[in-house]
Amino acid sequence: MSNLVIILAIFGWAILTYLAFKINKTLGNVFVGVLALALPAYFFTYTPSDYTVSVMGMSLQFGFTSFASLFAMLVVVLSSFALLYSIPYMNKKDRLGWFYMNFMFSVGGMMGILMSKDLVSLFIFWEIMTWSSYLIVIYQGKKVNKVGLKYMIFSAIGAYAMLMAIVLINKWSGNVNIEQFFASFPNYSSAAKLLSSLLLLTGFGVKSALMPLHVWAPGAYTKSPMSYTAVFSGALSKMGIYGMALVAVNLYVHSNMPIMGEVIAWAGAITAVLATFWAIFQNDIRKLLAYSSIGQLGYIAVGLGIGTELSVFAGLYLAILHGLFKGVLWMVVGAIEHRTGKTDFRDISGLIKKMPFTFFVALVAIIALAGMPPLSGFVGKWMLYESMITSNHFIMVLFIFLSSTAAFLYCFHFLYGLFLGQQEDEFLKDVKEVPVLMMIPMGLISLSLIAFGTFPGLIFKPIAQAMSTLGFENVTWRMSSLTNAWGNSMFLKPANFMFMAVFVFFLIIITVVNHKKTKKVGTKDIANGGEPIRDEDNLHYSVDIYRPFYRVISPIMKYKVETFYKRISKGIEEFFQFFRRIYSGNGQTYALYVVIFLTALLILSSTIF
Amino acid sequence: MVVANPILYVALPLLVAFLLPLFGKIHKELIRVVPGLLFMFLIFNTVVLFSEVTSTGKPIITQIAGWAPPIGINLVFSAFSGFIAGIISIMGLLVWVYSYKFKKVEFDNSLKYFVLIMLVTAGSIGVVLTGDIFNLFVFLEIVALSSYPLVAFYRGRDGAEASFKYLIVGAFASIAILLGIVLIYSQLGTLNMAEISLRIGEMPEKIKITAFILLFLGFGIEAEMFPLNGWAPDAYSQAPGPVGAVFASMTAKAGIYTIIRLVFTLFDIDAGYQLLLGMGIITLVVSEGIALRQEKLKRMLAFSSLGQMGLLMIAFGINTKAAVVAGMFILFNHAVIKSLLFFSGSYLVYNSENKNIKDLFGFGKKLPLTAFLFGLGAFAIVGLPPLSGFWAKLSLLMASADSNLIALIALILIVSVVEIVYYFRVVNGLYFKKYTGEFEPHKPSWNASLVMLILAAVIVTVGLYPDLIYNYFVNAADALMDKANYIQNVLPSNFVGLN
Repeated sequence: MSNLVIILAIFGWAILTYLAFKINKTLGNVFVGVLALALPAYFFTYTPSDYTVSVMGMSLQFGFTSFASLFAMLVVVLSSFALLYSIPYMNKKDRLGWFYMNFMFSVGGMMGILMSKDLVSLFIFWEIMTWSSYLIVIYQGKKVNKVGLKYMIFSAIGAYAMLMAIVLINKWSGNVNIEQFFASFPNYSSAAKLLSSLLLLTGFGVKSALMPLHVWAPGAYTKSPMSYTAVFSGALSKMGIYGMALVAVNLYVHSNMPIMGEVIAWAGAITAVLATFWAIFQNDIRKLLAYSSIGQLGYIAVGLGIGTELSVFAGLYLAILHGLFKGVLWMVVGAIEHRTGKTDFRDISGLIKKMPFTFFVALVAIIALAGMPPLSGFVGKWMLYESMITSNHFIMVLFIFLSSTAAFLYCFHFLYGLFLGQQEDEFLKDVKEVPVLMMIPMGLISLSLIAFGTFPGLIFKPIAQAMSTLGFENVTWRMSSLTNAWGNSMFLKPANFMFMAVFVFFLIIITVVNHKKTKKVGTKDIANGGEPIRDEDNLHYSVDIYRPFYRVISPIMKYKVETFYKRISKGIEEFFQFFRRIYSGNGQTYALYVVIFLTALLILSSTIF
Repeated sequence: MVVANPILYVALPLLVAFLLPLFGKIHKELIRVVPGLLFMFLIFNTVVLFSEVTSTGKPIITQIAGWAPPIGINLVFSAFSGFIAGIISIMGLLVWVYSYKFKKVEFDNSLKYFVLIMLVTAGSIGVVLTGDIFNLFVFLEIVALSSYPLVAFYRGRDGAEASFKYLIVGAFASIAILLGIVLIYSQLGTLNMAEISLRIGEMPEKIKITAFILLFLGFGIEAEMFPLNGWAPDAYSQAPGPVGAVFASMTAKAGIYTIIRLVFTLFDIDAGYQLLLGMGIITLVVSEGIALRQEKLKRMLAFSSLGQMGLLMIAFGINTKAAVVAGMFILFNHAVIKSLLFFSGSYLVYNSENKNIKDLFGFGKKLPLTAFLFGLGAFAIVGLPPLSGFWAKLSLLMASADSNLIALIALILIVSVVEIVYYFRVVNGLYFKKYTGEFEPHKPSWNASLVMLILAAVIVTVGLYPDLIYNYFVNAADALMDKANYIQNVLPSNFVGLN
């Protein structure tokens, strides 16, 4: 079976699904379900083979490297779960055919990117992915120009930077094959090296929302339907990571430009810190997750930028893991939105009673995100810290430490604000647990997060294989233990069981001891210091929960790169407004231009010709 | 070959244009049927001639009235000129289908409309095929003279004003071209393009350059080069909907053809290429920038069209084979995509008085097909894969990379971002802004929808499989760039060899 078939099948299926929705909604949903099941079934059973197409004198090659199949696994798993989740989640929305068609287009686009062995087909699929995701961002019709256009502009800037790199590489290397590009890169002049790799990095950096190219992300992640955002932030942003890994490792690490790797790593570290700060102060759950995504992608960039075997390993591990837990979290937000219609912390509280399953999966995903044992996030953080210390990035350790500690704040906010805290009977009256079809994807991914916590080797294996594409042969890994550079080993099984035992023990103790003191509180149940509480006062605990902290760091939060971009775009528009005056609408002026042009040419003729 | 002959391209439309009023006397329906039949025949003509050109690998030279060149007038149907003639005839047929019902309302209007379209067709194809520079001037005048009334077709104040501006600037073009031709004739004593090309070195340097500048100016006006294109936005936006497409796909093609011939074939001035490249860059940047600030849909499309012309000049100005191939691709795309945009756009603002962009807000739900096709056109023209615009842009960029024009690549890409902004604003508004309710949507007739669907199908098909037509571009580029071959074919006896 050739590789191209799988992509063409996805695109064809997308159009069929659109038509199916035209006929009947149930039929359309069946089509969605079939793809969701067929995609992993096909992907995990077929044997890949290479395929070449010749277009306009260029040969476009398709085939999986083991590095690409690592990401393809993530894309396939996450997309098929998100598609399943989508069926009940999107049930009441209209223009479903359009939504699913673009959803599948972007899945096909991602698979295409991973299959491309040359830069032109990579770019084609990259753009397909971009416009299909753009169409989903604006699908709900909210703030289309502010959010949608911003996403498109930044994507276009990134994509065109990439395109420029591609045409230059085509000139310098003689073709657009990716492997040959890497092979001939050391022979480039130093200016060519810098230009081509920086342009590629810009292209990939936009999609992976690396600061300062991230400004599109909070809006775009927020405005798409949550079932798509799970893929958007979980898998689609990983395409940027995929490319960045190729560039950072193949070009910088193996071609002796470590300074550029440092730049990526530092961009990642700063992104991690600032995005985490921004996440802490969001009142909208979706915004919180969006900034958290940006921050997490920063960790990954740190890992890739440092470029040692361990750090790249950690970066890839975190990338896969982020796809999984962020996928769950977006689905959790989607579940809450589906049942309550709200996404603001100030409107939601105490959901644990009505949505215990959702709470449980959110808890699992949050623990994985925070990087605490016994869940899988811990392993990734461990390796990342170790790689930073062994490669002497001590200041960066501080940054990452600051960021992951600060991340606890929003993790807590997320769990506490949504599921715990005050309980409003009025609000909770109509809330129900989500339908089974939404539970299954969330539950399965959460289970995998728990499993990877104790047996990270399950992901280590494909990562180790993937690393061979990046030039790190024979990466050692163990199923269930970690060994650091100083020879200490940690066995995850006993450690995690102990951790869990302690947790359960204290949970029981606290529950028993405090059982009698526990009381149910509403939002108005508060000491008011003698002042009457008005109805419109929002006394939710989540309101301004971190105000003191904000006061401390507010000086650095004032500077937004967004204002800078706004100024630039305004400047450009004004500049063109000036141009516009050239076309005065007066025929005489136009005639004058002709005369001036003629005179100028005649006068300058001796210099021009 | 008796059935197919390059002369028919010019003779038949002219004949039909003169006979159309008579046909109208016989039966009213004939004035709308006959042009269509003519266009079908022209396409047939193209297919036959083109297969001959491809099989022999030589251009078809037709002598008029039996006089051999350089004395007689000749038509040259090469892979290059024939390709453009083919595009013009096919677009002519589509314009005819599109406007078949468009002008049903009044007999007089529809007669006038079709006569003028016939004349524009004859003129544009004549410009492209002729091998005689004075003949070229005459055809150019036919195009211009039939375009003026098309611009002022709706007898409103704005239309007349736009037409008048076109007239003023067009008059400059005529004078400049004529003067240029006079200079050449006074020195070389010939009007045959092949012979001029052969003997251009004999001209004194000063006079040669002056002639070049005059012709460059005149052709530049027709090719919508900045700053000579003041007439164009008004003309595009005031003319009836399909005429915008006519301008983009027919007259502008003739205009750019003249300037290409001037630089590539007629003169041997190397700085001409650089001048073309430079003017192309300025045209591109200025036009796309102004398009960003337009509030009226058709004006926006017009400026975008000017930008595309700039892109074309850049491609031909680079003057490598890859770039010329890219230029042919852009030329093809511009004809197809811009026509789709004009066709669908004019239905979107059909009932709106000012044709403002904000008048079409919310039309995505009212006219789903038209809005979708407009969106597709917008996606295609900004160069998103897998649509045809992408391949053209890619090949242009690769060509500029090959010529080491790195800054140019960056510039084209930056302008593309600007393009995305203004096109996507419209598309967003089309689908997601609230329908104002002020203007009733006007449903496109079935024939108009058919044309738009055909164009969309072409865009998608070529986008998915560019090799389908890519070879035509390569052949056309070969034919254009091989000047010696052109001269040899036109003047087999006089050919003395060009080093």
